[in-house]
Amino acid sequence: MSWKAIHRWLGLTIGTLAVVLGITGAILAIDPVQQAWQAPAAPGNFPVATLVERVARSVPNAEEIRRLPSGAIVVFSFAGDQPQASYVDPADGHVLGAWQASALPRWVKNLHRSLLLGDAGRWGAAGTALTVGLLCVSALVLLLRRMGGWRRLAARVRGSLAQRIHVVTGRVVLAILCITSLTALTMSASTLGLVTLDPRTEPEVFSVVTGKPDMPGAQLTTLQNLQVQDLRKLSLPGATDPEDTWKVVAAQGQGWIDRTSGQMLAWQDAPLAQRIYDWAVVLHTGEAAWPWAVVLGLAGASVLLFWLSGVVIWWRARRQAPHIIGNTPMAQADVLIFVASEGGSTWGFAQTLQDAFVQGGHRVHTSALENFRTTAATRQVFVLAATYGEGQAPAHASHALEHIAKLNASAVPVTVLGFGDRQFPAFCAFAKALDQTLRAQGWPTLLPVECIHQQSGQQFARWGDALAQALGEPLVLEHVPRLPATVALTLVARQDYSGVTGQASAIMRFAWPAQGLDARLRGHGLARFAAGDLVGVVPPGSAVPRYYSLASGWEDGFVEICVRQMSGGLCSTHLLGLQMGDSISAFIRSNPGFALPRSRRPVLLIGAGTGVAPLAGFIRRNDRRSPMHLYFGGRDPARDFYFGPDIQRWLAEGRLATLQTAFSRVPDGGGYVQDALRRDAERVRDLVAQGAIVRVCGSRAMAQGVAEALDSVLAPLDWSVSALKAKERYAEDVF
Amino acid sequence: MSKPLLTILATACALALPALAHSRPLTLTAQLKNYGGDGAYLAAYLTDAKGAYVRTLWVAGGKAKYHKHLSDWSRLSAGDAKRLNGVTGASVGAGRTLKVTADLADALIDAGYEIRIDAAAEDMRDSPSEVRIPLSKANAGKPQAGKQYIQSATFQLQ
Repeated sequence: MSWKAIHRWLGLTIGTLAVVLGITGAILAIDPVQQAWQAPAAPGNFPVATLVERVARSVPNAEEIRRLPSGAIVVFSFAGDQPQASYVDPADGHVLGAWQASALPRWVKNLHRSLLLGDAGRWGAAGTALTVGLLCVSALVLLLRRMGGWRRLAARVRGSLAQRIHVVTGRVVLAILCITSLTALTMSASTLGLVTLDPRTEPEVFSVVTGKPDMPGAQLTTLQNLQVQDLRKLSLPGATDPEDTWKVVAAQGQGWIDRTSGQMLAWQDAPLAQRIYDWAVVLHTGEAAWPWAVVLGLAGASVLLFWLSGVVIWWRARRQAPHIIGNTPMAQADVLIFVASEGGSTWGFAQTLQDAFVQGGHRVHTSALENFRTTAATRQVFVLAATYGEGQAPAHASHALEHIAKLNASAVPVTVLGFGDRQFPAFCAFAKALDQTLRAQGWPTLLPVECIHQQSGQQFARWGDALAQALGEPLVLEHVPRLPATVALTLVARQDYSGVTGQASAIMRFAWPAQGLDARLRGHGLARFAAGDLVGVVPPGSAVPRYYSLASGWEDGFVEICVRQMSGGLCSTHLLGLQMGDSISAFIRSNPGFALPRSRRPVLLIGAGTGVAPLAGFIRRNDRRSPMHLYFGGRDPARDFYFGPDIQRWLAEGRLATLQTAFSRVPDGGGYVQDALRRDAERVRDLVAQGAIVRVCGSRAMAQGVAEALDSVLAPLDWSVSALKAKERYAEDVF
Repeated sequence: MSKPLLTILATACALALPALAHSRPLTLTAQLKNYGGDGAYLAAYLTDAKGAYVRTLWVAGGKAKYHKHLSDWSRLSAGDAKRLNGVTGASVGAGRTLKVTADLADALIDAGYEIRIDAAAEDMRDSPSEVRIPLSKANAGKPQAGKQYIQSATFQLQ
């Protein structure tokens, strides 16, 4: 089982009990705070003998003196028949007020310790404490994985509100909950009798009756040598029993003292187990220091926050997870569909295909590609494979190709359908590699490999027609893609540019609707986003979103993008045709690899055309005035210098350190942005040597040109773009 | 003579006595106060005219590690290997009543013997010899108040 699964299931199940312990723990933390309020801790670096003398003056019938972990001194006595307990000021012995054991109902403590179920409940509580410990360990593993190592542990957290609450609170509270769990286990071990604190019996000792008067406490050597801060409890010899002794319990151990001679009759050192236990109690209860009690209380209360946000995260993930309806067990299915998907959209196509087959009376089993195999019942196999990045397999299917290469082919036809985007040079590369491997192994196929561009429903339907013909049975594939929930964004400002070749472009700013906490918690609407993330816009009449890089972050209070008219572009035409007040339906997709890490290192921003948008967003939010250097490439400063006036203002404000421009369509414009980089080779090398972070945004051709230019510029330093990428200092956002 | 030896001797005598005489059942009832704490540990035991431990009547509260808080009983009965034989039960909640019976030799009544009850509750103050009732016919049925935890304790003879 993976750490994630362990964390999830422990959290969802035993986490409910942890909530009970957390809340009750938070309530119990009130006690030490209240105690500190009633009897402020006094210095304890004076002898117990002095304390006894002071107490004897103000409380003549004292029977017992206790020093509470908070440092407060409580004296027990009898006034006539009435038992009394008072706080005493150790400085002069005067009575501060009556002592109450605890202002909180006992059942809160018992609920915390034993779930009100006695010894069985104690085991339950100990098990819960162990679970909290396991949750902390798994949380740390997941946190390190999510943030990318110890060094980036403090980086900004993205995601839905629930995710941010879970992760941010986790970073703060993890260590405290871990301590709480360990100390709880230590305490449980002794309560449940797994560890015996002090197996010795107490000695049977008596004061020797001599008829002489008692020795006053102030004169007892033991009490003179013992500091008040080490005292736990001092029992004074009773008036009625001449054989009664002094009994002193201290951090170091416990002893019995003869009342007349003052001789130590017996002494038992505190065993190690007892000392460990004492420490655990102090750490777990916060009794010794009220600020720690406050910290513990908040940590306890946070368990509820963890549980709630965790449940929300789980619920959302469950809803979004590939969920195939009507799956037949693999052994009985005559049609098998295997899926490799990075974002999850390919599972939607698989479901459509499955539904169509089921409609035709087939028994279908759909599964992830890594489970690829056939059974005796199998008649047809389909592989629906998306390609990720530069021709790689989606993460979950990363070993699927090797797995398939080792299988022996059978006579069952295997048909591959690829999903990808033609803008990428390695269009459907993974699907093609799969198909090649299958053919090389000797698997037959029904249809040659086909590649679906940008999740095109029409193309999928055409493939379905071809499939129906090949199978000789009717098969209709009507695919409605599942999109993330969209929100309506209203256009509030636009800045139009005429473009060099007559193509219009504009910087468009949208307002988003006010959202309740509930919607944000559940991740509806717009999650927190930053410049460099993507906004998916769904044009009317289409189900396929187009993605634009965001030039603004959550803090800016608006959604801003830079749109250029694409020839025949459905979405750009829709966007550029918007009037003020018109709305679009959109959703946010995070782009964590491109976001800037929190650091004061120099930043080299390289953008061309509308690609400057996310870079402008970075500069706009550069409140810390990190040294940012922008290389901007356009065609004509009069026509496509996007964000020009803003960039000048940011320069003046120090948000941008330097600006270099290159315009390709004007005389002496400086050519392309990569030419500007070559001209500034010395400075670029300097910045990289200083540890600069590089972000490139623009067309694929431009990004390639920039990479080549930088490789040649950096060669003398023995640096390269690929080395920078490996160090996560170089990222591209290309379109 | 050393004190432990005395105690053992006294115990031996007391245990020998019932064999010689008739015994009768004694019912001990202790009504606890609402002291606002966890269930109390109680030890009811018998001491002789000299204050020496004779036998344990009942111990309420099963966890042996807390028995040291019943300090008089714990100290006095230390030499009695059979002190807990069949005479333990659950601790007694605040406001509740403990009612136990024990067989008692006739010879123990009106002979200077005393019923004592030690009490203790978690996080609160120990109360050794919370109640002391002389074991006499005259005292039977007479409620006796405790110092901290016990509202009243009564014994009945049949």
